[in-house]
Amino acid sequence: MRRSIAAATVVVVGLLLLLDYVVINPLLTATAGAALELVVLLAAAAAVAGGVALVLRHWTDLVERRGDPLGSLVLLAGFGAMLVAGFYPGSQGSADPAVRWLVAALLAPLAAALFSLLFIFLLVALARGTRLHGPRAAVMLVPAAVVIVLLLPLGGGLGEWLGDAAGWVLEVPIGGVFRGLLIGVGIITAVQAARVILAVEGSDD
Amino acid sequence: MTSPVAWRPRLDRSSVADRRVLLPVLLLLVLGVMVLADRAGRPEAVSLPNPDREPLSQWNAALAALPSRPLVLVGMDPDLGTYPEIRAVTRAVLADLAREGARLAFISFTPDGRAVAAAELARLRNQLVLDAGFVAGAEAGLVLAVSDPLPDGATGAVAEAVADRGGGMAAFDAVLIVGGSDFGPRPWVEQVGPRIPDLPLLAIAPSFTYPELAPYLRTGQLKALLATVRDGAAYVSQSAGQPPLSAGTMPDQPPPALAMLAGMLVALVVVVRGLVTRGPRAGEADAPDEGDAS
Repeated sequence: MRRSIAAATVVVVGLLLLLDYVVINPLLTATAGAALELVVLLAAAAAVAGGVALVLRHWTDLVERRGDPLGSLVLLAGFGAMLVAGFYPGSQGSADPAVRWLVAALLAPLAAALFSLLFIFLLVALARGTRLHGPRAAVMLVPAAVVIVLLLPLGGGLGEWLGDAAGWVLEVPIGGVFRGLLIGVGIITAVQAARVILAVEGSDD
Repeated sequence: MTSPVAWRPRLDRSSVADRRVLLPVLLLLVLGVMVLADRAGRPEAVSLPNPDREPLSQWNAALAALPSRPLVLVGMDPDLGTYPEIRAVTRAVLADLAREGARLAFISFTPDGRAVAAAELARLRNQLVLDAGFVAGAEAGLVLAVSDPLPDGATGAVAEAVADRGGGMAAFDAVLIVGGSDFGPRPWVEQVGPRIPDLPLLAIAPSFTYPELAPYLRTGQLKALLATVRDGAAYVSQSAGQPPLSAGTMPDQPPPALAMLAGMLVALVVVVRGLVTRGPRAGEADAPDEGDAS
């Protein structure tokens, strides 16, 4: 019974949105719009629930001194600072100067610093990979070396040649593989969706 | 499972040691020559802007096709991790649009995008800008925004211009999409393109999205695309020398080419050294990584 209700909901909403996509009809548009607003509300509610769960989890860790209490304290302090900046009386919400400062002066540089460490971690992983998995790592390292050479920021005739070659590599082999993957993912998604809609074997077990 | 000693470099120990030293020295020499050439007044020796000017030409043509003082919707959804790659070109494009008198409205569908948009809006103070805020629901929110992109009670010159044209996303002359890993140009092409076919979509996105977006560019679903560091640098160098939009706002620059070259050469040293001199040691081949034991 539960499965049939879920499948029926998926079929009805899916067909509704599909019809609204191809047929111009005010009633259909209004109905599809209501369904989409429900989805938006659900997404917003899920985000709030996720935030609350995160705070509760780290608050519990902090009180019971489990896991990483210092990390939990920093997370809760950051959470609180952002909430205060966005909700103090007279605040402009996410457009408030205090929120902008927190994002531009703290959040963005911290995220950039973390991502900049990727360079070092990748190099360490490369060195370790070649030591542990020689031939298999070589399969990855040879294309990596070729791509690095093609992307070297050189000028002059050599730079132009490298740039053209890099463009071809991006467009043809990498693009082809990427699109093949996307097509494969699309087919699998469609098949899986059809199995759910048609209630074929163990879709929600 | 393969034999632990199945793959061995065909080098004796002395030649391996020689190459371990030789390779970094060689690449450092290359870097040194590049630096000297750069400092000796031959800037073309090291150059970040893409020598292939086709993407830049397409971008310029798309901007030139816009009417004067265009209404442009900016879909601002970069992520904090990859935004540094496209920040310079995004700021240059926004500044150029503002200088041309464009009326901009910012909308975001991801929390990261909203955070970046809030910070960028501060740089565009005193310009004709409307903050349309954050819409939850990702693609569902985008579909809703097609008919009503502005928040209730939006006021100002941009909101009035949109209302005069009947409201909705079709009121805009173009959409500038600043994408990231969570929400990029693809949903715009899929959801907005078929609903408003005449609305030009221009996109700025990080390099890793290029293979996904290139077909959209070729079919015309995206009018223009700047999706690599070098294309972004080409645009920024084209816009260099323009005065800042407001006092105290410094123009942003892409990463220095020499710094990128140095980093890439270091990476190349590690990769080539791994290929030339390293093989699995006895007993180490196919060993599980730490944490794989479970």
